[in-house]
Amino acid sequence: MIPQPLLRPRTARILVVEDEVLTRAFIAEELRLAGFRVIEADRADDGLTYIKAAVEQVDLVFSDIQTPGSLDGLQLAEILRDKYPDIPVILTSGNAPPRHVGIVEAFVPKPYDVTQTIALMSAILAQKSPGEPL
Amino acid sequence: MSDPCILIVEQDLLVRTPLAEYLRECGYLVLEASSAGDARAFLEDGSRRIDIVLAEVKSGEPSGFALASWVRTHLPNTQIVLAGTIATAAEKAGDICQEGPTLSKPYDHRLVLDHIRHLLAARDRNNGS
Repeated sequence: MIPQPLLRPRTARILVVEDEVLTRAFIAEELRLAGFRVIEADRADDGLTYIKAAVEQVDLVFSDIQTPGSLDGLQLAEILRDKYPDIPVILTSGNAPPRHVGIVEAFVPKPYDVTQTIALMSAILAQKSPGEPL
Repeated sequence: MSDPCILIVEQDLLVRTPLAEYLRECGYLVLEASSAGDARAFLEDGSRRIDIVLAEVKSGEPSGFALASWVRTHLPNTQIVLAGTIATAAEKAGDICQEGPTLSKPYDHRLVLDHIRHLLAARDRNNGS
């Protein structure tokens, strides 16, 4: 049978910023299996470009703090807090969280449990838009 | 049998994401790499069979050409489609790729899908399945 595009109701979109490609693909695949739509960026700069381009609404950003390019994850979070305050941000890192990580909704230390992390994302999205399907 | 797996190698997130989503909605498993180096990470990881690599010719270092050569040498069952603008070296791409001429950019999603279907069907015919 020839696959055809499916029409589906809008599901929440999560922007994942992670430069380690296998790590990013893994969390992205798990999120898709959980029913989310995922945008994969390896640089915070690219993630910001996507959000600015407003191709489609991003509902949550999950970003590594250490990312290549001109922005790191924390700087991305700061920009989003100022310019796009409706987009919740979860940061992750293998290092200790920086002192001002409190600007974001949550910090998840690496290595993270994928199931718990997805549950956290779902909870934040549900809090943001109660009653809306994820 | 699992869904065919397509690896898209494309630097531009605004180009890669819509194409990847389109192909997912068509039923394919899609992996995304922003560089040929990241694509090599997927290919060398070997945890999943990648049926087709769709790579931009200019995909950083190594180039899409170098990636295609590597795939042809190390993963002969994986097919390569190179994509680029008209200004890129189509003749060289034709030497490397299974199907000769490449896809042109900007991507026409429907043409990409047709190309992928054609390649997979040809492979299945050759394998007798």
